[in-house]
Amino acid sequence: MGSATNALIFKVQAECPITRARAALMKLPHYEVHTPVFMPVGTQGTMKGLLPDQLETLNCEIILGNTYHLGNRPGVDVLQKVGGLHKFMGWNRALLTDSGGFQMVSLLKLAEITEEGVKFRSPYDDTEIMLTPEKSIEIQNCIGADIIMQLDDVVQTTFQDHDRIKEATERTSRWLDRCLKAHKRPTEQNIFPIVQGLLNPELRRQSAEEHITKDVNGFAIGGLSGGEAKDDFWPMVSLGTEILDKNKPRYLMGVGLAIDLVVCVALGVDMFDCVFPTRTARFGCALINKGQLNLKQKQFESDLNPIDKDCECTTCKNYTRAYLHCIVSVETVACHLISVHNIAFQMRLMRTMRENIKQGTFPQFVKKFVNEVHPDKNFPTWIKNSLMSVGIDIMED
Amino acid sequence: MRFSIKQTGCGSERIGNLTGFLKSPGAEIETPTTALFTQGGSIVHLTAEVLSQVFSNTKLLWLPLSNSIHLETGVKVQNDGVAKFAGLQGHATCTTLHSLSESTPMGHFELDRVPLWTKNGKKMISADRYMDVMEIFKPDIILAIADGRTSINEGGKRLSKSVERSYTMLKTCVDRCKTSKELQNSSLVGVVVGSGSEKKLDDSISNTLKHVDSLTGIALQGIVDGTEETMDIDSEILNKLLDKVGKAFPKDLVRIFEGHWNPSVVLSAVEQGWDLFDGSYPVKLTNMGVALKLNFDITKDNDTMYLLDMIDERYKEDFTPILGGCECLACRKHTRAYIRHLLNTREMLASVLLSIHNLHHFDQMFCHARQHIASNTFAVFKQHITKQCEMLKDFAPYRYKAQNGPNVQTEKPSSKKKKQRLVSEVKSNNGS
Ligand SMILES: [Zn+2]
Ligand SMILES: [Zn+2]
Repeated sequence: MGSATNALIFKVQAECPITRARAALMKLPHYEVHTPVFMPVGTQGTMKGLLPDQLETLNCEIILGNTYHLGNRPGVDVLQKVGGLHKFMGWNRALLTDSGGFQMVSLLKLAEITEEGVKFRSPYDDTEIMLTPEKSIEIQNCIGADIIMQLDDVVQTTFQDHDRIKEATERTSRWLDRCLKAHKRPTEQNIFPIVQGLLNPELRRQSAEEHITKDVNGFAIGGLSGGEAKDDFWPMVSLGTEILDKNKPRYLMGVGLAIDLVVCVALGVDMFDCVFPTRTARFGCALINKGQLNLKQKQFESDLNPIDKDCECTTCKNYTRAYLHCIVSVETVACHLISVHNIAFQMRLMRTMRENIKQGTFPQFVKKFVNEVHPDKNFPTWIKNSLMSVGIDIMED
Repeated sequence: MRFSIKQTGCGSERIGNLTGFLKSPGAEIETPTTALFTQGGSIVHLTAEVLSQVFSNTKLLWLPLSNSIHLETGVKVQNDGVAKFAGLQGHATCTTLHSLSESTPMGHFELDRVPLWTKNGKKMISADRYMDVMEIFKPDIILAIADGRTSINEGGKRLSKSVERSYTMLKTCVDRCKTSKELQNSSLVGVVVGSGSEKKLDDSISNTLKHVDSLTGIALQGIVDGTEETMDIDSEILNKLLDKVGKAFPKDLVRIFEGHWNPSVVLSAVEQGWDLFDGSYPVKLTNMGVALKLNFDITKDNDTMYLLDMIDERYKEDFTPILGGCECLACRKHTRAYIRHLLNTREMLASVLLSIHNLHHFDQMFCHARQHIASNTFAVFKQHITKQCEMLKDFAPYRYKAQNGPNVQTEKPSSKKKKQRLVSEVKSNNGS
């Protein structure tokens, strides 16, 4: 037990008296992260044209890198020589890497999964490559992120074949053991197991209960946010946070829409990641509480307001919607400017939630938020039901 | 805006300053200097936030109408000038019709209108229409609209038209500047054209001289027509041109020389007394994935290349900065290997880091030039830089890569074959 605890210390600072939300300090080797936290995704060791300095200014405390991409370029040799991704990209705060398995299965149609690992053809030189749990950890040890992910057996979320889902869930647990055994830097890096089981409550329960017996410092909930109905999504999150250790951080993979963040924090999730805020920026979409503004639309041609008058980011302080409308999808600067705002938006939402949890006003905040998004009180059932399950009745005033 | 000469060197080179800007009355920009080239009103690849980390003082923004006319509606509504609208308030602005470094289709001309090539295609534009936009943009410096996109090899008939049309348009610009309330604080720059023929050039000079009292400066066009081939001009011919045109006008006019000329040509122009450059050169390099690395120290031998093709395999594990000792943000915090990786993966941050370094370094060249003018050693400095440029004389990467830089994500990397030619050229020149 002793060795693993060094690399992550999780201190819950405040708990919501009604919901499962909590605010905590997660001490990692490179930085102390305030949770609940949103982690922007910097796939190839960079965040959509933003300097690491800008990310610090935006109060990003932990960002993501993708093992599959980084393993190819710049490659393990380069990362080994420079002393890890932190040094390579000039980022001094915390990092998290995925296992690379998800990318392979989603990017590469030819992937084949066996008990040994994921077999696929390299898109670079067409050779056959086998990504085993051991290999994934070896690469992630070399990248050197504060938190690394186990290789899991990925099945598409909406997949129906029960036997295959069961096989994947159980294999994920077997691969977890292999990952933990292969881990070479337990005092500097934390492996998070991934709770699998797709939309099957029995398998999810089995997966979570198996994983909490392991000597690890935190957990991820995977296999969701893959196109399933929201009514199917939230009970799986809830099931996960119910079983997983209260004293360890819980990371919900691939979730980042504002409303999803609010609901899942209420369900007890501490960490989130999503490519959406930066990806949508590339298409000229700026995030606001109610959703997003597509700045390409002609209605913004003469709009001298900032994207969001309450936002304190450098884009909102300095640029109008009218100007962004002119340069969106033409100049790279437009993409940088909207990315800055979108990341600032995510950071501000998380900070507001942390503050409300600490002040004991989180349930009120949630009500205010969902009413702002649905002023007509026409709430989707999943929002009503999920919040009701943790003690918030959004229909009552 | 005012231009004054503060000091002259041994030859025609001089140190001056630009002052009296509309939005930053206290600011002073020392010349010779380069403007910062903009697209859509923004510094290419850099947001205002990042720009403020590269330069802390007031800079002159170079605004070609061809890439910024679509800002017109917004600037008009806000009614506070184009720099403010583009988020760059506090910086001075200089507008012109086209960028001389962008290639455009062959011209189609009308009696009193010239084509403006924008991202949405061609717009015919008259001098009055041009000045209408100027009243909205309210720049500190206006280059008169001119028919100046002819090359030095242009035929006589075309040149006659170019000189004639530019003169007619200049008269409109002068009239509008005198009568417009909006333009009381803007300074007009006359554009000399017809460089392809001595006779036509003389005509253009004398036409421009007729209005010299209304002008704060002159610019010289009619040398390149936007295609890269026309950038290959015998330096003797170019020097003669610059000398002749410079001397034809009163000394106290600011002299503007546009185009993405290499440092050697730029410093030759400085030597002939030219003061202001459009800043398209570092942008061009950035868009090709190339870093500028001049050795400014005249006491040190030139032993390395002044251009680095940053995507080259040789930088894969090079964990040193682009230029050791460079104080720019890119060199202080990032390595060649990282920039190479960003280019290789076509990530936008590559262009950001290269812009930071290239803009800073090109600006530094002018700082050094001014210091050498002040201490009467400019000729040595110019010779020192020219030697570095000669080591890479055949390095003309702009021929091999289109304007699309590494920032274009949707496309496959530019043709491998072309790339290899570029790389092998640099290599074969190495050590020569
Ligand atoms: Zn903002
Ligand atoms: Zn530098």
